[in-house]
Amino acid sequence: MPHYRCFIPQDALSFDQRQEIALAFTDIHCGSTGAPRSFVSVTFLETPEGQTHEHGEGYYLDGGNRAGRSEEVKQQLLSDLTGAFARVAGVSPGDIPGRITENPASWTMEGGFVLPEPGQEGPEWYAAAEAAAAAD
Amino acid sequence: MITFNCTIQEGIVPEDIRPRLASELARISTGFVGGDPDEVSVHWIEIPHGFGFRGGRLSTTSAVRGEIPPGLQQETRVELMQSIQDMWMDVTGCTTDELVVSARDRRDN
Repeated sequence: MPHYRCFIPQDALSFDQRQEIALAFTDIHCGSTGAPRSFVSVTFLETPEGQTHEHGEGYYLDGGNRAGRSEEVKQQLLSDLTGAFARVAGVSPGDIPGRITENPASWTMEGGFVLPEPGQEGPEWYAAAEAAAAAD
Repeated sequence: MITFNCTIQEGIVPEDIRPRLASELARISTGFVGGDPDEVSVHWIEIPHGFGFRGGRLSTTSAVRGEIPPGLQQETRVELMQSIQDMWMDVTGCTTDELVVSARDRRDN
């Protein structure tokens, strides 16, 4: 966690654009939440022309985060993410609807650890997360 | 009903070991929450090379997302996730940093 799934039309984005979006999402998420960079996953799912995806058609951002952040933080995060997505894709932010759903951190194990709730990350947890990322 | 959605990166989890992973997921999960292993659903989502990133870099991470009947105690949930992690690492040879395991309560909506 977090995991951001970007639904995009087939062949809409080059590798460089996808990587730029993934880097932007990592910067935005970590800047907003303080999470380790290595925890931010971004996946691009192409929809062939004439078909739909689980959220309809066209671009869509479906994010999954740990529960426990304020509504204000979540809305700002979503706005910043869709804004960056739209800028790199060359479309209007209004063309990229999205949502962020949440689950308890305690339901996920990552890097060998059960995730702490937002705000409960102690220095030991950050040290372990960074060490795991460095060994990657 | 228990379901698993396994999101894997292209070239990381060979097709020939996926049936074993699926059967182990079914065996382990029903061992903790009950039910028939034959009724466990395992879905594979393979992300093409260049479409999956972690920390802004190309990802080699597999995400095993389970949905289980609600109400499992946290201690048991952790044991379930740990067992899945151990099995997955043993079968695939991945490291702990290349795996995310979740066991979420199923939402009937």
